[in-house]
Amino acid sequence: MKMAAPPIEPVTSGTKVKSRMLNPEQKAIARQLISHVILISLLALVLVPYVMVISASLRKGNFAPNGLLPDKVSLEHWKFVLGIPYQEIANVATGETREVKAETPPLLWFLNSIKISAIASVGIILLSGTAAYAFARLQFKFKSGVLGGLLILQMFPMVLALVAIYAFLDFAGQYVRWLGLNTQSALIVVYLGGISGYIWMIKGYFDTIPASMEESARIDGASQFQTFIRILLPMSLPIFAVVFILSFISHMSEYPVASIVLQTRTNWTLAVGANSFLAEHEKLWGRFAALAVLSGVPITAMFLLCQRFIVGGLTSGGVKE
Amino acid sequence: MPALYLTFVLYQSGNALVALLVLLGTCLGLFIYLSPTALTYRYLFPGFVGFGLFVIFPILYTVYISFTKYSSENLLSFDRAAAIFRNETFVSANAASYKYRLYVQDDGTYVLYLEDQKDPTKRFASEPFELSVGAKSKGPTEPVKLGALPGGEEVKGKPLETPQIVRAKLLGPLRERQFVLPDETILGLADLLSFKSRERLWTQNPDGTLKNKKDGTVIRPDLKQGFFVNDKGERVGVGFRTFSAFENYARILTDPRIQGPFIRIFLWTVAFSALSVLLTFSVGMLLAVILEQKDLRFRATYRTLFILPYAVPGILSILILKGLFNQEFGAVNALLKGIFGFAPEWETNPWGARAMILLVNLWLGYPYMMLICTGMLQSIPGAIYEASAIDGSNIVVDFSELTLPLVLPPMIPVLISAFAFNFNNFNLIFLLTGGGPQMVGGNGGETDLLVTYTFNIAFRDSGTNYGLASAIATLLFILVGFLAWVNLRFTARKAKI
Repeated sequence: MKMAAPPIEPVTSGTKVKSRMLNPEQKAIARQLISHVILISLLALVLVPYVMVISASLRKGNFAPNGLLPDKVSLEHWKFVLGIPYQEIANVATGETREVKAETPPLLWFLNSIKISAIASVGIILLSGTAAYAFARLQFKFKSGVLGGLLILQMFPMVLALVAIYAFLDFAGQYVRWLGLNTQSALIVVYLGGISGYIWMIKGYFDTIPASMEESARIDGASQFQTFIRILLPMSLPIFAVVFILSFISHMSEYPVASIVLQTRTNWTLAVGANSFLAEHEKLWGRFAALAVLSGVPITAMFLLCQRFIVGGLTSGGVKE
Repeated sequence: MPALYLTFVLYQSGNALVALLVLLGTCLGLFIYLSPTALTYRYLFPGFVGFGLFVIFPILYTVYISFTKYSSENLLSFDRAAAIFRNETFVSANAASYKYRLYVQDDGTYVLYLEDQKDPTKRFASEPFELSVGAKSKGPTEPVKLGALPGGEEVKGKPLETPQIVRAKLLGPLRERQFVLPDETILGLADLLSFKSRERLWTQNPDGTLKNKKDGTVIRPDLKQGFFVNDKGERVGVGFRTFSAFENYARILTDPRIQGPFIRIFLWTVAFSALSVLLTFSVGMLLAVILEQKDLRFRATYRTLFILPYAVPGILSILILKGLFNQEFGAVNALLKGIFGFAPEWETNPWGARAMILLVNLWLGYPYMMLICTGMLQSIPGAIYEASAIDGSNIVVDFSELTLPLVLPPMIPVLISAFAFNFNNFNLIFLLTGGGPQMVGGNGGETDLLVTYTFNIAFRDSGTNYGLASAIATLLFILVGFLAWVNLRFTARKAKI
């Protein structure tokens, strides 16, 4: 692509010429040097906040993150987040200590989030995968209209439908326990509604797989469902991986719906719990930082490991359609 | 079949319409999975049930609410509001008085014990009922039934006398409860020490008006106001939801308290979305171009590190940056003060807050643009750069005359959807500034987007107004839906070419 800059003689005259009389190799080195300077300075802006959070999680006291290294190292926030009891000085004058233990260990919120996001993502794959198959391979009335409608309807901000979702769960909970307010199952079911983007993405992938293999299987006597399960699905595993990861990550971050549906602390998700540390007047930055590092690291690692898949999925899903 | 059982229960509890819908849905499902002609729909049905329940239904419901008067003042349905009047009672002139005791049961419920003060052989015990401390009652509850207690028999559980009841903060909740004797007499807490029999305050007339038994006033429901009113037109009691046609929409356009902030917030929303797209695209593009140099060392490492803000869950990043931009203790101001000796007011100054939001959103959003741009750059054949090199170009010319014109057209759908996404970027604003600082003399915040402004109208502020919020939500949906439609047109046309 961007090859070394052109090796041509500058046409300008005078003293300037001398300074620009670099040979191609020197030019390439200069270009690289400039690139590295730009990249490293920008990278510092990206990385410093994360370093500060790690340091805040290890510092004594609940201060907003503002230093690269903690001045007084303490594991109290980590112990709190993991639900391990620790001693805290209750009275500075006498040096009296008291034991502090989280009533609901914040670790639980992280586990709740993983559970909810994982189940919702599997459900979303099942629902959007089958629907995408119909859109990609089968003929039915109003197909393109429905497909476009899906995308437009999903543009409705879910936050503003909360009144309706709340009313629905409040009503449904009277008859079906697990659809009621303050249940994690209800939250999962609500998340299952957001499939249209994924339908588009999977359909886009199905479209790139030639139908000829399935057709020949049909001739050999396979049913339609068999061709779907045995032939198309195994070839589409990469896109399902992408959908799973994207859906998982977006649901790990989902705040508004979870904050309305889940009411008791033991039911909370990571997003609701993390914000609760900062929503009160007394902001518990240290505890928040420990929770953020604890939960952020595994998710980030997972994302980076699957980076190649995700980037492929994004560019094909977002652009090629 | 659980579905049939559910239908039956729903029907029994008076929700015939919902029962019918559940039944129809079940039949449709059965038909689709049993009939050989409905093959295609077998694949679509499960997805569409979820989509219908949690996307289409909420939209329809929201649009419906936008045509009603539904707020904290007009909260209950008409039936519930009327039931409150029907359940209102007063102490009758010749009321009997009862001593009482409350018994805590092992499962946390309570049993009330009553003893007639004149005739100690008349004793009653209630069925177990729940009392929640501090919880506000959600409207009228069914009266608790009392049964006669035979002599010599005692109520099980731990007894609570008046002082203990007061200390446990159960007196308030107990006062809101009503109890009925086997002979249908209603009893309620009259003072600290006794229960007294009560009479219903309102009698219903055939024409729907209610008559007060004590002073004889007559009230009638006013469907326009959503309140019961007396002869003088004064509101009495609690309000109820009622149909209001286009009143909410008219308020957005004409009420100066709404219209003023609405226009300002709309402009800021548009500016925020456009600037966010512009900034993230510029930085993302710059990084993509720099990282696309084949001879650059550590390319892979750089790429991975630059993706970080996209890989870390957004909610954590937003909250982390909120801490860094803390006006008094945050790292950003500590640094700026150390170097330049000035500390911007990121939280209290509207422009400072807006700048912070744009910076944070740039930080969060550039990796996505970088990823997409990288994909685009890699699809440009390298030969054209070689050709332009022969013509004597340089990096800047290459970028502005070759790269950008090639990348921009296919990027337009991405940019439009990024615009639409930011238009409704609830998490960012809600968690970062909460819409603050407050507008002077308005009910919105200086950094509110339409979506957070609406959320606050619906859920946060003292006067929650679901009807008005739904009307704004509907308008927002039309706007963003239009954007999505344009985008769809655009991509569809491109696909055909």
